[in-house]
Amino acid sequence: MKVFLDLGWFFKERKKQYLIGILMLMFVAFLQLLPPKIIGYVVDEISEGTLTFAFLTKWLGILAIAAIGMYILRYYWRIMIFGSAIFLARQLREQLFRHFTKMSPSFYQKKRVGDLMAHATNDLSAVQQTAGAGVLTLVDSITTGGFVIAAMAITINWKLTLIALIPLPLMAILTSYYGKLLHQRFRYAQEAFSNLNDKAQESISGVKVIKTFGQEKEDTEDFVRLSQKVVDKNIRVAKVDSLFDPTISLIVGICFFLSIVFGTRFILAGDMSIGDLFAFTSYLGLLVWPMLAFGWLFNIVERGRASYDRIRDLLDEKIEIADKVGALEQKPEGDLEFHIDEFKFPEDERLALHNVHFTLKRGETLGIVGKTGAGKTAILKLLMREFEGYTGQILYGDHPIDAYKKRSLREAIGYVPQDHFLFSTTVAGNIAFANAGATMEQIYDAAKLANIHEDILQFTDGYKTVVGERGVSLSGGQKQRISIARALMMEPELLILDDSLSAVDARTEEAILEALKEKRTDETTIITSHRLSAIQHAHQIIVMSDGTIIEKGSHEELMEIKGTYFEMYQLQQLETLVEKGGEE
Amino acid sequence: MEEKQPRLTGKDQWKVLKRLLTYLAPHKKIISFALFLLILTVIGDILGPYLIKTFMDDYLTPKNFPTGPLVGLALGYVFIQLGNVVVSYFQLLKFQEIALKIIQQMRIDVFTKVHRLGMRYFDKTPAGSIVSRVTNDTEAIKDMFVSVLVGFVQSGFLVIGVYIAMFILNIKLALITTILLPILFVVIRTYRKYSSVVYQDLRERLSQLNAKLAESLQGMTMIQAFRQEDRLQDEFNEINDSHWNAGKRNIKLDSLLLRPAIDLVYALAIIMVLSYFGITSMSNIVEVGVIYAFVTYIDRFFEPINQVMQRLSIFQQAIVAASRVFKLLDEEDLAPSQKNDAHAKIEQGKIEFQNVTFSYDGKTDVLKNISFTAEPGQTVALVGHTGSGKSSIINLLMRFYEFEQGDIKIDGHSVKDFKTDEIREKVGLVLQDPFLFYGDIESNIRLHAKDMTDEEVKAAAEFVQANNFIEKLPNTYKQKVTERGSTFSSGQRQLVAFARTIATNPKILVLDEATANIDTETEVAIQSSLEKMRKGRTTIAIAHRLSTIQDAELILVLHHGEIVERGTHQELLNQKGLYHKMYLLQNSVVEEIA
Repeated sequence: MKVFLDLGWFFKERKKQYLIGILMLMFVAFLQLLPPKIIGYVVDEISEGTLTFAFLTKWLGILAIAAIGMYILRYYWRIMIFGSAIFLARQLREQLFRHFTKMSPSFYQKKRVGDLMAHATNDLSAVQQTAGAGVLTLVDSITTGGFVIAAMAITINWKLTLIALIPLPLMAILTSYYGKLLHQRFRYAQEAFSNLNDKAQESISGVKVIKTFGQEKEDTEDFVRLSQKVVDKNIRVAKVDSLFDPTISLIVGICFFLSIVFGTRFILAGDMSIGDLFAFTSYLGLLVWPMLAFGWLFNIVERGRASYDRIRDLLDEKIEIADKVGALEQKPEGDLEFHIDEFKFPEDERLALHNVHFTLKRGETLGIVGKTGAGKTAILKLLMREFEGYTGQILYGDHPIDAYKKRSLREAIGYVPQDHFLFSTTVAGNIAFANAGATMEQIYDAAKLANIHEDILQFTDGYKTVVGERGVSLSGGQKQRISIARALMMEPELLILDDSLSAVDARTEEAILEALKEKRTDETTIITSHRLSAIQHAHQIIVMSDGTIIEKGSHEELMEIKGTYFEMYQLQQLETLVEKGGEE
Repeated sequence: MEEKQPRLTGKDQWKVLKRLLTYLAPHKKIISFALFLLILTVIGDILGPYLIKTFMDDYLTPKNFPTGPLVGLALGYVFIQLGNVVVSYFQLLKFQEIALKIIQQMRIDVFTKVHRLGMRYFDKTPAGSIVSRVTNDTEAIKDMFVSVLVGFVQSGFLVIGVYIAMFILNIKLALITTILLPILFVVIRTYRKYSSVVYQDLRERLSQLNAKLAESLQGMTMIQAFRQEDRLQDEFNEINDSHWNAGKRNIKLDSLLLRPAIDLVYALAIIMVLSYFGITSMSNIVEVGVIYAFVTYIDRFFEPINQVMQRLSIFQQAIVAASRVFKLLDEEDLAPSQKNDAHAKIEQGKIEFQNVTFSYDGKTDVLKNISFTAEPGQTVALVGHTGSGKSSIINLLMRFYEFEQGDIKIDGHSVKDFKTDEIREKVGLVLQDPFLFYGDIESNIRLHAKDMTDEEVKAAAEFVQANNFIEKLPNTYKQKVTERGSTFSSGQRQLVAFARTIATNPKILVLDEATANIDTETEVAIQSSLEKMRKGRTTIAIAHRLSTIQDAELILVLHHGEIVERGTHQELLNQKGLYHKMYLLQNSVVEEIA
C-alpha cells in the first residue's frame, strides 16, 4: 500500500477528481443496495396478496431512478478515476522524456534503449493500473463489501448474516492460495514459453547452418518437443486457473444453502419475511465482487510499487554534465587549444587519451587519422562536452569550454557523426533539423554543398520523401551526405566530420571537400577519417595511436618523415587500386 | 517494437476467423466432450434455482415441512451444486487444453513452414518479426480461444438454457423478456462498431508514441548536438496528448456501453419481471418461487455477457495476429525445389559451373557467365573484393537460391537432379560466421544426428585438432555453449564448425573462410586442419587471406561478378594483375607503385 503514499503528490494534484470519483463510487455502492431491497418489498406484498398499483409504481419508479442514477455515476466515476490514471501516465511519460533529453551520452552507454523503452511502457502501465484499478478495487471492496454486510445485518437479520458469511473467509483463503500456486506455475509456463522463443530465435538466426546440414526435420522435432513443454506447463496453470470459478460458485452456493435453510427458520419464527430472504440472497450475490477485488488489489499494488520504484530511480539519475553557475551565454569563437593530459571513459580502465596537445587556428582545417580505437572520436566527444573528467584544459576562444553554456557551445558546433542517424521524417525535415524555420532555398544550398541535391531530386517525392523504416531506403553514402547537409545548415563556427565520408566514392568526396574549402574560409573544420584522401588537404594533420599523437604536420611534412602516415598512404593507394579491379 | 497493424475489413476478419476455426476440426471428439460438460454445467445452473423455487412454492409458502421430501430436495440441491463444481472444473480445463493444443499445432505449422522458406525470404524479413509470428502472435490467438470463444459459446448455451427454463415457468413473461435480446444486441453491436475504431486508434497512437520514443532515445546524441531537445519534447508531448485523448475516448466509450450499460439493461429486466408479477398478483395468485427463479435467471444471464464484452478487444487483437500468421503460412518464397525424379548420387565430387548468370533481385546480375571446373580432389579458391560474387557462387552450389541461366553440375548431373538430402549429406559447408547453438560442445558437433557415437564426435574433433582446446575446458565435450557461443573465441568456434562438418564425412567441402580476427595460435591449428580436411575432397574455398590457398589447383579472381583472372598462385603472381596487388596489400609490402 506504500505506493499509494508515494503517489500522494499526484492524488493531491488531482484531489478534486479523486474525491468526486470516490464519492460517486461510494454512492453507487449505496444505490446498489436498493434493487435487492425493492425486490424484497414487492415480493412481500405479492405473497401477502396486498400489492397495490400505487405501491408497485412507487418502488419500481425508485428502482428505475436508482438504475439511471447508477448508470450516470458509473460513467462519471470511471471518467474521474480512470481518466486521472491515464493522465498520470501521460505526465510521467512527459517527465521521463524530458529527463531523457537531459541525460549525457554516458547514461546511454550504460542503459540499453530496449530497457528504457520497457520502463516507459510496461512500468508506466503498471503505475497507471495502480492509480486506476488499484484505487477502484481498494475503495470498492471496502465500501461495497461494508455497505452490503451492513445492509444485511441491520436491515434484515444480523444472525442470518453471521451464519451465511461463515464460508466467505474460506473463499478469500482459497483464492489467495490459488493465486500463490498460480503465480509459481505461471512462472514455469513463462519460462517454457521463453525457451520456445529462444529456440525459434536461434533456429531462424542459424537457418543457414540448419539448411547446410539438411536438418530441418530434426530441428522441427526439437521445436515440437519444446512446444509440448509449453503445453504441459500451461496445462498445469490451467489446472489451478480452472479452480477459481468452481470454488467461488461452490462457496457462494454453500452461503445460499445456509441462508435458505436458516432463513426459513427465521421466517417461521416470524423474525423476517419471505421478501427479506429474497433481498438477502441478492445481497449475497453482491458480495462476490468485493471479495475478488480485494485479492486483485494486492496484486495490482505489488506490481505498481515495483514499477514506480524503477521509474523513480530513473528520474533520480543525476544529470552528469550541467552548466556551471554564471556560464557564458555567448557563442564561442576563435582559436581552439586542446591540452589533455589524461582521459578515461567512465567505467573503462584504459586511458582513452593521454598527452594530446594541439592548437587549431580559426579558419583552419584539422585532419585526424588513426586506427579504430586510437582516440579520434574521444577527442571530438570531449570537444562537444559529451564527456568530462579529464586532466588538462580545452580552450575555445579565450575561455575553457566548460565556461560556456552547453547550448552556446553546441550552437557553434556542427557535428556529423560516424553512424549517420536520420529521423523518420522528410528529407527536408532532416536537413533542416537544427533550423526548423529554414527556407527551401537554404535547404537546397546546404544539400548542394553536401553534393546530395541531385540525388534527392531523383527520389519519388523529392525533398518531401520520408526517410527511415517506413520510407525510402537510402544508401550509406546518401545518408552521410544528408547528415553533412544537416550540419552545414547551421553554418557552424566549428564543423566536425567524424569519419563521415567513408561511404561516398572518391569523386564525391573530392567535390564535397572542395566545396567546403571554398565556402568555409573563416570557420574551423575538423575531419577524422580512415581514408587519407579526406584529410590530405588539411592545414594540420595529427596521427593518433593508442590514445596519443604520434605524428603531426601537413601532408607534405608527414610524407617526408616516412613514418606511419607514409605507410598508411602507400597501402591505401594499393587498396584503391584493388577496389577498382586492378585498373588504374 | 510494435509492428504496423494491417487494416482488416469486416470481410477479411470473417475470413480469418473462419480459417482459425478450421483448426478445431482435428479435436472434434474432445470438443464434443467439453461441450457436453458445458451443457451439463448449464443444466446445473438452471436446475439449482428451480429446486429453490420448488421449495419456496411447495413447502415454504404453505408452511408445510414434511421431512422426507425436504431432505430429498436439499440433497438434490447439494448434489447439483457439487456435481456442477466438479463438471465445470473439468469443462474449463478441457477447453484450455484444446486451446493449447490448437496453438501448439499452429506453432508447429508456422515453424515447419519457416524451414521450407528460401533464403530470399530471410534476406528480406528481419529475424525478430519471424520469431514474433511463431510465438507472440500465436500467443495472442491462444488468449482469444481461451477467453473469448469459450466465453461466447458458454454465454450462448446459458442464454438458451435460461430461456428454456423461463418458457417452462411462464411463457408469457418469457416472451416479454425476449425484448431484452434486441436491446442487448444493439448495445453490443454499437459498442463493437465504435470500439473497433476507437480502440484501433488508441493502439495506433500508442505505437506512434513508442516509435517516437524509441527513435528519440536512439538519436539522443544528435538531438542534443543540434540543441533540438525542446522541439522534440514538443513533438513528443503532442503525440502523448493525442494518445491521452484517444485513451479518454476509449474510457468514455467503455463507460458508456460496457458494464454500466449492461447493468442498466439488467435493471430494466428486473423492472419488467416485477411489474409483470406485480400486476398479475392483483388479479391472480402468484407463486413467490417463480419470481425467485426469474430474478435469479436474469442474474445468471447477464454475467457471461459482461465478461465477453470486456474481452472483445482481445478478439480484435487475435484476428490481427492471426492474419499475420496466415500471411506467413501462405508465403510463396520457398526454398528451391528439386526435380521430382531426383535420385542422382554424388560419388566422385567433380563440380562444373557452366555459364552461370545470377541475380538476387532480377535487375543487377551479381554473377555473370561463370564457368569453371573442379576435378575430384582438387581445390578451387575464390578471391575478390567484398561484393565480387564469391558468396553467391557458394549460395547457388548449396541450392540456397534458385538460378535460371546456365547450369551447375556435380558428377555430370545438374544440382537440380539431386535430392536435397543427397546434397546436404555429401557437400559440407563451413560458414564464415560459425554459428554455435545453445547446448554443449558435443551437441554442436553432433547437431541432430542422433546415431553419431561419442567416439565419432571425438574423432571428428581430433581430426580438425579442436580436441586441443576442448580437452582443456573444465567439462571438455560437455562444456556449455551459451547463446551463439559468445564465450568462445571466433577461432574456437571455427574449429567446432570444422568438426561438425567433418563428422558428416562429406565428399565435397565448401569453405567460407572466417574474416574475424583469430589469434595466431588458433590460426596455426586452423590452417593445418584445413589442409587435412581438404585431402581427398573436392574443395571450393572462399579465401580472405591469400596465404591459405597458395596450394590450390585453381584460383579464380572475381570482380563485379566476373572471373577476371584464373590460374595457380604462381601463375597469377607472374601476371602482375589484380591478384598480385591483393597479395602485396595483404603482406603490407609497400613499394613504389608503378
